[in-house]
Amino acid sequence: MNDARELLPVPSQESRPKRNLFAFLEGWLYLLPSIILFGVFVFYPMFRTIYLSFFLADQMGPFEFVGLENYQYIVSSDSFQSSVKATILFVLYTVPAGILLALFLALLTNEKIKGIGIFRTLFSSTMGMSVAASSVIWMFMYNPSIGVFSRIAEWLGFPAIQWLQNPDYALLAVSLSTVWMNAGFAYLIILGGLQNIDTHLYENAKVAGVSYLYQLRRITLPMLSPTLFFIVTVSFINAFQTFGQIDILTKGGPVESTNVIVYSIYKDAFINNDVGSASAQAVILFFCVLLLTALQFKLGERKVHYQ
Amino acid sequence: MKRLLAGLSVLFVLFLTACSSTDSASGTTEDGKTEIIFWHAMGGELEASVNEIVDEYNSSQDKYTVKPVYQGSYEESLTKLNTVAGTADAPAVTQIFEAGTKQMIDSGNIQPVQKFIDEENYDTSQWEENISSYYQVDGEQYSMPFNSSTPVLAYNKDAFKEAGLDPEQAPRTYSELKEAAEKLTIKEGDKTSQYGLSILNYGWFFEELLATQGGMFVDNENGREGGATKASFNDEKGQKVFELISGMYEEGTFYNSGQNWDDMRASFQTGTMAMMLDSSAGIKGLVDNADFEVGVAYLPHPDNVDPQGVIIGGASLWMAKDIEENQQQAAWDFMKYLSTAEVQAKWHVESGYFAINPAAYEEDIVKQEWEKYPQLKVTVDQLHDTVPSTATQGALISIFPEARQQIVTGMESLYQGEDPKAALDKAAAEVDTVLEKGSRSR
Repeated sequence: MNDARELLPVPSQESRPKRNLFAFLEGWLYLLPSIILFGVFVFYPMFRTIYLSFFLADQMGPFEFVGLENYQYIVSSDSFQSSVKATILFVLYTVPAGILLALFLALLTNEKIKGIGIFRTLFSSTMGMSVAASSVIWMFMYNPSIGVFSRIAEWLGFPAIQWLQNPDYALLAVSLSTVWMNAGFAYLIILGGLQNIDTHLYENAKVAGVSYLYQLRRITLPMLSPTLFFIVTVSFINAFQTFGQIDILTKGGPVESTNVIVYSIYKDAFINNDVGSASAQAVILFFCVLLLTALQFKLGERKVHYQ
Repeated sequence: MKRLLAGLSVLFVLFLTACSSTDSASGTTEDGKTEIIFWHAMGGELEASVNEIVDEYNSSQDKYTVKPVYQGSYEESLTKLNTVAGTADAPAVTQIFEAGTKQMIDSGNIQPVQKFIDEENYDTSQWEENISSYYQVDGEQYSMPFNSSTPVLAYNKDAFKEAGLDPEQAPRTYSELKEAAEKLTIKEGDKTSQYGLSILNYGWFFEELLATQGGMFVDNENGREGGATKASFNDEKGQKVFELISGMYEEGTFYNSGQNWDDMRASFQTGTMAMMLDSSAGIKGLVDNADFEVGVAYLPHPDNVDPQGVIIGGASLWMAKDIEENQQQAAWDFMKYLSTAEVQAKWHVESGYFAINPAAYEEDIVKQEWEKYPQLKVTVDQLHDTVPSTATQGALISIFPEARQQIVTGMESLYQGEDPKAALDKAAAEVDTVLEKGSRSR
């Protein structure tokens, strides 16, 4: 953007204030597109949600101010408590497992071997699959009568498990498919991070004759920490916002065991036509994610090594 | 760099204008015809059938054009309608499932078809009364019945023979049902290769099993005389249904097939269970796809109860209020066309839904089809045997979708060993809360 400014005549001393004003307006002009986009699609909906959370509202808009009643109702309802539990469990099941899996695959394929491109494509391919399509595939695999998991269990002599119908397994089953779906993206980012590490460091390590694990601990992971920090943060936020696979695989059931907060918001807003309660849940979720992300930056970033 | 920026801003402006100029949902086409949009929730083979009927309508006259748009499941299309209802973008005709009836009436965004019935002295006595009465409130016909179905017991006749049961004599009472299920259950060690019965975890089946005993879902005559204020499904009658499921599940003769219709039907076809409750609209597909003989029977009822029949499920067609007069006329004309005997006969044969115009059953294509699929006739007979009452008319509440979720959660908790009465009471308490909250709406 600097070339635009270079074309301007060099200002004399007298026109300084004028120039400052011009630069100020010019800056705003450049910002305008993103301000409008963010304003229309992010900030307005956000403030509107906070506003609606203090009302009884349906999809046509608010109709009765109730103060904090929506919040009181939510906090005291069993359903919301089980949603919170399901959300936390879901995050715990998916984030560490997904990142470790992606890291493992990325380390494996960070070697210069013939044909490694095939594996890199394979491991990152889930990124190209839509959530809807992958969920349908997993739904068939979990089907107790015709699914592949039941077939394997039968072949091994175990009774077939109703993965998605049993509240003890449903959340695990959804998490497993989510780990698979998200692995491609995390893998790609981590592999990119690995490729960026200066090869001299590894050459020095080789000369020093250290073990692979030592090299991993002292060179790879510290050098990768900015990437890992990024992917951990993004995965956390993603996990909190998961919706598609739950809608397709379980619809929040059985016995609300997979009714994560985002799904509960969707149900209240669009099926039960209770926009006030949905907005209040959305506000609560927003502050939880905000708090968690802030904590991560405060605690996690200390360990991050920027070059 | 400058050029790039200029290009980007042009794109941005284009994007904004594209956003603001959404097409009007319906209007007049170039050749002077009035075009209306028809939202429906018929997927798969049914969608092809709907499109064909609409095409035939469009070519049958030259004043109106109907554009059918598939909007996903019943729940999804109701959700989508809520976002455009009351604006000029609302579709002229929308297909809404029975549970959305009260919500539609309360929304104030629909035009009751009674207005057109009165204007033309249209003869509604040609409609099947058991179906059209569902969509009548205080003597006013709100929507036009379109596709209606009832629950039936589908069973595997081959499995009945193998178990030594009479394949022509399906169980009718709960004790007969339990007995048959026990005989049909095949255990190999600790594995069960064939279960007796399965009922989908779907609120509709519970409502039906309640109504056939004459039970009410909510108070004030199922919400039809003054608004409903409390759930009443947790009475003795409701408990009998939950006790049946819970008892059979504990005995290992009941199979939990989840919430998905297709999963349930796949399990039935692969022989996982020998009996299940299904919608009459699914029967034809079952008969076609199963490699065994499928029997169809009336909905079972508890012992010593006089069965009252069934509530009609399915959907009806609603007309939007805030659209042009000529579009309403087009919508009404299209609805009238759909309810003619010929169209209903074709629809019944292709979909398995009931004809809302009983004259359709006299059409030749229906007679031929019934010879090929005698199972279809059972579903129609069951509807005709229904005793009209507020129980079999079904509940009229605006919070139906949520009430159904509570029933489903209750059913699911039975498989976790929850006490049937406790599960029902919990669902009822939740529904009471929602009813109370719902009564505060505008």
